[in-house]
Amino acid sequence: MAMRVVALAGNPNVGKTTIFNALTGMRQHVGNWPGVTVEKKEGVFEYNGERFLVVDLPGTYSLTAHSIDELVARNFLLNGKPDVVVNIVDATSILRNLFLTMEIFEMGIKNVVIALNKMDLAEKKGIKIDVKKMGEIMGVPVVPMSAKEGIGLRELKDIIHRVSHGEISPAPIAPRYDPEVEREISHISNILSETELSKRYPLRWLAIKLLQRDDEVMKLVLRYLGEEKLREIMTHIGEAEERYGRAMDLILASQKYEFIDNLMHKFIRYMKSEGPSLTDQLDRLLIHPLYGFMTLALVFYVIFKFVFALGLPLQKILGDAFSSFGTWLAPHISSEVLKGLIVDGIISGVGTVLSFFPLVFLLFLSLSILEDVGYMARVAVLMEKLMRKFGLPGKAIIPLILGLGCNVPAVMATRSLDDEKDRLVAMFINPFIPCSARLSVISFITAAFFTSNHALVAVSIYLIAIVVALLSAKFVSSFLVKVEESPFVIELPEYLIPSWKTVLLHSWERSKEFVKKAGTVILVGSLVIWYLSNYPVPMGEGKSYAERIGMFFEPYMRLMGLDWKAAVSLLFGIIAKENVISTYGILYGSEGALVGVMSTLQAYVLAIVTTLYIPCIATIAAIRMESNWKWAALVTFYMITIASMIGIIIWHVGTALGY
Amino acid sequence: MNMVVPLSSLKPGERGVVVDIRGGPNFRSKLVAVGLTPGVTVQVVESYGYGPIILYVGGTRLAVGKGMASRVFVRKL
Ligand SMILES: Nc1nc2c(ncn2[C@@H]2O[C@H](COP(=O)(O)OP(=O)(O)OP(=O)(O)O)[C@@H](O)[C@H]2O)c(=O)[nH]1
Repeated sequence: MAMRVVALAGNPNVGKTTIFNALTGMRQHVGNWPGVTVEKKEGVFEYNGERFLVVDLPGTYSLTAHSIDELVARNFLLNGKPDVVVNIVDATSILRNLFLTMEIFEMGIKNVVIALNKMDLAEKKGIKIDVKKMGEIMGVPVVPMSAKEGIGLRELKDIIHRVSHGEISPAPIAPRYDPEVEREISHISNILSETELSKRYPLRWLAIKLLQRDDEVMKLVLRYLGEEKLREIMTHIGEAEERYGRAMDLILASQKYEFIDNLMHKFIRYMKSEGPSLTDQLDRLLIHPLYGFMTLALVFYVIFKFVFALGLPLQKILGDAFSSFGTWLAPHISSEVLKGLIVDGIISGVGTVLSFFPLVFLLFLSLSILEDVGYMARVAVLMEKLMRKFGLPGKAIIPLILGLGCNVPAVMATRSLDDEKDRLVAMFINPFIPCSARLSVISFITAAFFTSNHALVAVSIYLIAIVVALLSAKFVSSFLVKVEESPFVIELPEYLIPSWKTVLLHSWERSKEFVKKAGTVILVGSLVIWYLSNYPVPMGEGKSYAERIGMFFEPYMRLMGLDWKAAVSLLFGIIAKENVISTYGILYGSEGALVGVMSTLQAYVLAIVTTLYIPCIATIAAIRMESNWKWAALVTFYMITIASMIGIIIWHVGTALGY
Repeated sequence: MNMVVPLSSLKPGERGVVVDIRGGPNFRSKLVAVGLTPGVTVQVVESYGYGPIILYVGGTRLAVGKGMASRVFVRKL
């Protein structure tokens, strides 16, 4: 028998993830909804010997067509035919949460269960809810829960089981509007009735959505009923709005809230709350224009230290372990070809993949803690104004800062951005931020070629990179993905102690996912580079494919004052940026020999180009994993173009100035 | 006297009832969904010169950009 499907729907931050994890444990799978980069989580739980498939819908406040998240959730509810919809409601903010509930009810979905979560917090705040009464009034089963403590889980499973078997038949209460609005709804319903459309979607829902001028439903009407009918309906709505002197969607929303408010007072009582809460007091400090920024800087510093001071040495240890293993294994393999392939290709490739694990894990650990504590929303508040100037949301500051350590976890950190377009822009520009591997190239070159002003030279390279990144953000958000000026409004959740189980599970899943998804790309990349440098003749005599590729690009490199050896080094830098210098060293005999053969200006150009020219293979893999191949390829192409342009400009300007 | 003023002009501690939201459908739906809709009472918690304004609406704390807040009109309580 096919598994019954349970959909989890709810506002952001209601504890959906906590409930999802508690239901499914480790039996979960993270992927994307088809065609978009909105995360899709599925898992399985068993109850009474029966298995249920749980689908986690994106957290949303409503089900309009204005955002991808809402559309994804709505389409699944309409077309995915879930057997049971669990609507998770935050007991501490019932009014707002029931707005989504009403949208779900209005879709004509019957099998709804309300999971009334955060009961512990509600109690603390003096909110008294008569759960039984609430169930009667809403017409659906209501399960009180404290998901964080695991309270109510069994009951929830039991109710899901019983609803899915028809032992309970919920009869959700649908919102009623004032008579005039109801007349409009029936009028439009009449036009739509008896059409093919009305067989596929609930009539009343279609009518309400049309009153709200919902783009997707308008498209549906256009397709099924033609332009004339659509125009007739819209004119009618326009006239109604004229009479009201206000947009219909506002009228519907106000009346819906009024309807909820009336229901609510039958089952909820608010005790007097005492003084400003701890959250209010903390916020006075944490979102203050001065102290807030100071705290923010401190938080970033701590996270940066935590992720990289701990992660980078671990990465090195893992990397070294793999190369020692290779060295140990080498004498045991007799075939030269096999030895090269296994030791230099596969083992070092797998080593690279796994060596990122600690970094990615520590990163997600920090991010989930920030998220769970409630601080992430404050970051958004503080940085929004500044980052918007470059077409990015406030939270995008986090991946930018992490990029200074390593772009791989930084690209993955763009997940904390809520909007898909914002995510695309943020991951596009991230590789421009010089990571620690590039810092090693920059410091080698400044130390070897410049007699004084080392810090100044290094800073100039960082500045160029950061300016390029920010300008690119502006460019990409204005022209490539067209980020619309989206109005800034976010909820500031209560500060909470994180749930360690959720945080650790989340970080573990994410890091595993990275190894699985990015692993192959990194491995294949390493093998290709290994092949190019060893065939037909190992590198060193100018006969390997790698060197021939470099020579082919020599005329191009000349434009920026560099030779074919630079091209080869840059090719190896794709595996890891620190390879640029060591490859140069191999080609010239030693790294020290570089000083004799390159001028200071050439070295400076090399440092800039190395910083800007391409994301390393692991970063490309991360970008592909977070978006798609096309986007990863576009980033790569864009970076090569920008790096060449800047290299050429600096070379020519520098030469003209007599350097 | 009950004046209708933009939400952005309220000072911390002041309250008002939303009477109108001026802006496009995307803008409206975003505000409405988080609970800012005609008829509800809002209270301003913090409002600094820099950054968004912090409000209480129906038991939740919201941060709303100043630009947005200036397009929400409230009757001062
Ligand atoms: N006090 C209390 N806190 C809870 C409860 N359930 C979840 N939380 C906390 O609420 C916050 C949000 O929980 P999540 O499970 O991440 O919520 P979500 O709905 O998945 O949130 P998004 O990922 O933002 O959509 C976390 O800090 C949880 O620890 C509960 O029953 N009581």
